[in-house]
Amino acid sequence: MSNGAAPQYDVVIVGAGVSGNLIAKQLGLAGKKVLILEAGLPVPDSREEYMNNFYLALAKTPESPYPALAGRTGTKENPVGKLPDPATLPTPRATVLGLGGPPDVSYLVQAQPWTGTHPDSPAPPQNPPVQPDGGVRGLQFSSTFERNGGGTSWHWLGTSLRELENDIRMYTKYQHAVDWPVTYEEMQPLWARAEKEIGVAASVVQQEPLEVVGLEYPAGYEYPMQPIPTSLVDQAISQAVSGLQVPGTLPDTPGGSDPQLYDVFVTPTPAGRNSEPYDDRRVCAGNTNCIPICPIQAKWDPTVTLGKALDTGNVTVSYQSVAYNVGTTADGKTATQIDYYVWSRDEQGNLHKESHSVTAKIYVLACHAIENAKLLLLSNNWNGIANTSQQVGRNLMDHPLYLTWALAPQPLWGYRGPLATAGIESLRDGEFRKYRASFRMEIGNEGWNFATGDPYTTALDYINGTNNSALNPTNQRLGGTALALKLNNLFTRQFRIACMFDQSPLQQNFVELDVDRETHQPNNIDGLGIPRPRVEYGFDPYTMEGFRMAAYVCTKIYEQMGAQEFTKNGVGGTGDFTYRGVNYHYYGAGHVVGTHRMGPDGGSSVVDASQRSHDIPNLWVVGSGSFPTVCTANPTLTLTALAFKSADSIIAALNS
Amino acid sequence: MTTTPSTPGGASVPPPEPSESVVQDFANLSAALTGFQPSFIRPFLDPVNLSGTFYQFAVAQVGQTMMDALMSAFDALSNQQPALSPQQIADTLLEVSSPTPSAQAQLCQAIIAMWYLGSWYPPPFQTGGLHQVISSQAYTKSLVWNIAQAHPMGFSAFTFGYWSQTPGSLETFGVNTGNGGGQ
Amino acid sequence: MKKIATIILLTVVAVAVVVMTPATTTMAPVAEPAIVLSPVIPGDAQFGALPPNATNEQKLLAIQGDFDIYSWNTFIALNWPPGPDGKGDPKKTIGQNGDNNTVWEQYRNVANIFLPGGAKPSYNGPVSVPTQCKASYKPGMKIVSQVGKTPTVLTEFSQPFNTGPLIDQNGNYTRYEILVNKPMFDYILQNTLYSKAGQKVFSGAVKFPCGVLNGPEGAIMVKAAWKVIDPADKARFHTQTVLVYNPASQNPKYPASCSTKLMGLVGFHVGHKTNSASQWLWSTFEHVDNAPAEADVASGKLKAKYNYYNPQCSAANCPPNQVPPRPWDPTKVSSFHSQVVRMNMFKGNEFAFTSAAQRNADALKLLLGVSSSSVWQNYELISTMWPTNTGQCQASAGDPLGTPAPTFLANTTLETYIQGMVPNVSSNCIECHNNATMTTPVASDFTYVLQRAQ
Repeated sequence: MSNGAAPQYDVVIVGAGVSGNLIAKQLGLAGKKVLILEAGLPVPDSREEYMNNFYLALAKTPESPYPALAGRTGTKENPVGKLPDPATLPTPRATVLGLGGPPDVSYLVQAQPWTGTHPDSPAPPQNPPVQPDGGVRGLQFSSTFERNGGGTSWHWLGTSLRELENDIRMYTKYQHAVDWPVTYEEMQPLWARAEKEIGVAASVVQQEPLEVVGLEYPAGYEYPMQPIPTSLVDQAISQAVSGLQVPGTLPDTPGGSDPQLYDVFVTPTPAGRNSEPYDDRRVCAGNTNCIPICPIQAKWDPTVTLGKALDTGNVTVSYQSVAYNVGTTADGKTATQIDYYVWSRDEQGNLHKESHSVTAKIYVLACHAIENAKLLLLSNNWNGIANTSQQVGRNLMDHPLYLTWALAPQPLWGYRGPLATAGIESLRDGEFRKYRASFRMEIGNEGWNFATGDPYTTALDYINGTNNSALNPTNQRLGGTALALKLNNLFTRQFRIACMFDQSPLQQNFVELDVDRETHQPNNIDGLGIPRPRVEYGFDPYTMEGFRMAAYVCTKIYEQMGAQEFTKNGVGGTGDFTYRGVNYHYYGAGHVVGTHRMGPDGGSSVVDASQRSHDIPNLWVVGSGSFPTVCTANPTLTLTALAFKSADSIIAALNS
Repeated sequence: MTTTPSTPGGASVPPPEPSESVVQDFANLSAALTGFQPSFIRPFLDPVNLSGTFYQFAVAQVGQTMMDALMSAFDALSNQQPALSPQQIADTLLEVSSPTPSAQAQLCQAIIAMWYLGSWYPPPFQTGGLHQVISSQAYTKSLVWNIAQAHPMGFSAFTFGYWSQTPGSLETFGVNTGNGGGQ
Repeated sequence: MKKIATIILLTVVAVAVVVMTPATTTMAPVAEPAIVLSPVIPGDAQFGALPPNATNEQKLLAIQGDFDIYSWNTFIALNWPPGPDGKGDPKKTIGQNGDNNTVWEQYRNVANIFLPGGAKPSYNGPVSVPTQCKASYKPGMKIVSQVGKTPTVLTEFSQPFNTGPLIDQNGNYTRYEILVNKPMFDYILQNTLYSKAGQKVFSGAVKFPCGVLNGPEGAIMVKAAWKVIDPADKARFHTQTVLVYNPASQNPKYPASCSTKLMGLVGFHVGHKTNSASQWLWSTFEHVDNAPAEADVASGKLKAKYNYYNPQCSAANCPPNQVPPRPWDPTKVSSFHSQVVRMNMFKGNEFAFTSAAQRNADALKLLLGVSSSSVWQNYELISTMWPTNTGQCQASAGDPLGTPAPTFLANTTLETYIQGMVPNVSSNCIECHNNATMTTPVASDFTYVLQRAQ
């Protein structure tokens, strides 16, 4: 473009995930010529390789089915090998197994756990100290993601909840955080389009009780598919919480109190999962494996939309193509090209890269909240673009997840059905949001699999006479029928609840390039020589007060059920922190948010409500990174809805 | 104890194909140790043949001598008069009352883990053994999920909505619940 | 599971015992199962004697042999020349004139069962002829439109779970059709499962009728794969002059069209629900020129020409079993040609290979005995998938899949891209069809056809 030639494409999109594929499809249907640059490997012809990876993986983590591109571990071929060094990989990504590790196993460069086992830290394990403002810093950002065709949503759960009205106007309503630059009314038709694209199974009638937290649908709206039945676990909890009420805040909550009592009740969760044949895909068979991979594609994933994009004949995908620079004019106000490496490995496994550039009228970054921020910061010789607001990479958020688990007094038969079919959404909104983080509660259908690695851990405990599960306190060793009956008695009573918080956006939670500020030299790089993301993360008291409330509510529910709680919160490990003298443990939810927040103006935000850069009018930066707050719903439905809005605005811009 | 080198994955030096009677004997041992019905462990027609796979795998890990010794011990217990229940045989072989199980008892523990979890957990006595999933079928047929009256995550033979219904009895999942060993 | 194991003994061994010891019964002596030239569709497999003290492998081989004999007898009867009533004409013989019309082609095509608006279908009534085909249509002419095994209801263009079309060496899309026999049709009709509305009010479980040995056939569905052939190759195929219909599509965008083609049968699936198989029996046949086996490619023992493989193209230039690039537009001749290789999916189940090879040789002798120009000599059985642990027909099985043997089975024209050995994803007839439902989430007894109701 700089040499005066016509742009090669109408639009170049970086990333073949949820947003990128959907925008490509919409543009392709509108007759626009699109190139998608996808950093990772192509979408495979069948799921055989991915499923085989999963079956043979010792640690069946979210990343386990997907290629690590070198040195895959936990497989039959390489069962105990060291995790691959991200510095040797063309598209390293954050993995569960690499979390909390040093940069030779963890793609994200971040603080190490406060652990006495760390060679540099001989002190006994401890949790990060409380800061003067009451918050904690130095936590590990614990969400992971994929860099392959189809993106991270290969292993999304399918949860397709809509946000609440007050979720997207937190400042106006509660004087906390920021408002979204879109209205609830504006979102309604976008959510409907997203629900059709994904294929969401739910019933408006079943969701109606959530009017108490402000959930509303346009008159006459129906979901594309009938709802998915709830599990026996859901049903048991639902019965037990009947009549249960909890206050908005606990005593001594900083900032104020909300003594109002809120009803606790269970509702089925809208899910992008087939409850009838839909879009050429099968009905859910309850493989209990939405994460890390549905074996039968009964759950929507972005490869479905990618296929439709390619069917338009107007969309091309270039795989193994890692963007490392968005070229701009000297004034930084027009994007002119994308520079990318095409990588390959030779037969000896050596990594090769070739540099390429491509031009288009409009550029779309759709490669994940962390990677979008990284690419913006890499551009302009690592000085960054589209960053007048200085908000690129800031406000990094997750849905930090607090997990509790218990043994029911009677069997309720977990380990069956989709991973989650219902939750408690009734506590997602209230005056308490002035003082503490709101949360939703997801009921799990996989026993203690998430909680303790069961059924493996407890089975091994009773085979070997250990007590890693806390279920074998006398270190019994059993065999034969006695073993089978003992384990049956335990497994059929296991269940868990996960709470996910509307964490505060904080300027000091950020992703930046791992580059030395003075020498301008990279510290940690990937296999292509690109600086890796460095992350700083922590919680404010508002967020942690949400944890305190969640722990209280879970315990109340377990008491109500007569269930024995086994929740374990550690010290000194990845995800451990202490609030008001009580230890908590959080997990990442994979809901990475905030790094290119949208807002009304370029002074305080990176993109506008269409996810268009305030600074660079021919650049869109899309995905959950645009969310100003993480809200209470899982983000995929809303980021899909926003992708429709972006696609509309791109088509309008191209046609004007 | 044997000095046969363990071959990770059992791939490089495949032991000879065991005879039908050896596989059946191993299946009977496995049934006693796991608490499953013998006809479930080794069906009349067995196209998957995990009994054969696991036998060969274990031999590759711990050596023929040690496996033969275990099978002899099992045969002796099986032929004892008055007859022992499968639970008594399992408890004896596993030395459940001993805080320091012998190598042979440790092998029995590893055999249970193979069937329950589809994986090889190297017993403490084994040097250089590798923790690994034995095969995709070893995983999709692993029995711990039957004990939960469920199915392996990622492999359901049930149909839509089953999760809102009570599962079949433990017996229909192959567990031998009726020999008096339960507690 | 003990009960289930007992049932298999009932259904398989007990029959075998009866067969092997006729003196102990009052039944008339029954011959050992064999492939025969007969127009009678076997209602079930017949079981021969098991060798005494048979090993697991020997038992599986013996029973696989019985099922493969059943499959060939089914193939012969289904491809028998039909009489006026649509059944095999006993006065004629399969392949006596080289090629012949067939019994199964008189079955009802599902396109004429699941009608617009959920209208009530009839088994022998007129077929619906798309507008674009009307000018070329002559009564009795075959109309195919599917480009994949399981089409979307509305567009009739899509792949089994998006696994992709199959494109021959001339760039033409392979076409598929699904037909059901009268018992299966009648069950659909009687239970009004031909319409969405009927399915919605249907209560209880879908249970198609089971075939009985030496008795009535059960529900049978046939899936056939066809390719456009050169008239010069006509003598090697069962052929039909076919109207190839492409319904209009929005994405990829093309208008409706219809053209007349000479097509040859390349793939043939038969699913039959029988007393010994509540999970159905799955027989699959292919044209012998379809594709080389993995071993043939490795050894270089290749034919000069295949339907779906170019022996002149290297593995680097033509990697095998790749899904064609999108957009998939069956109205155009594709520059992409599928390079298909039959993968060995019988590792650990070698009995399936051994048995099929033997029955194929036996069948070939018989078919050649009829006529050396019989087109049917060019078809081979790949295998029969059967449940080793079935419930009695119509009983609900504790082992829903019945532990099939062989564990994996694919037809290279119908499951081209999933020829691996990975549970739940690689081709396994019973496993996949176990997930089949109606337009509601209710399980549809191992058939996807009910999803097509409108």
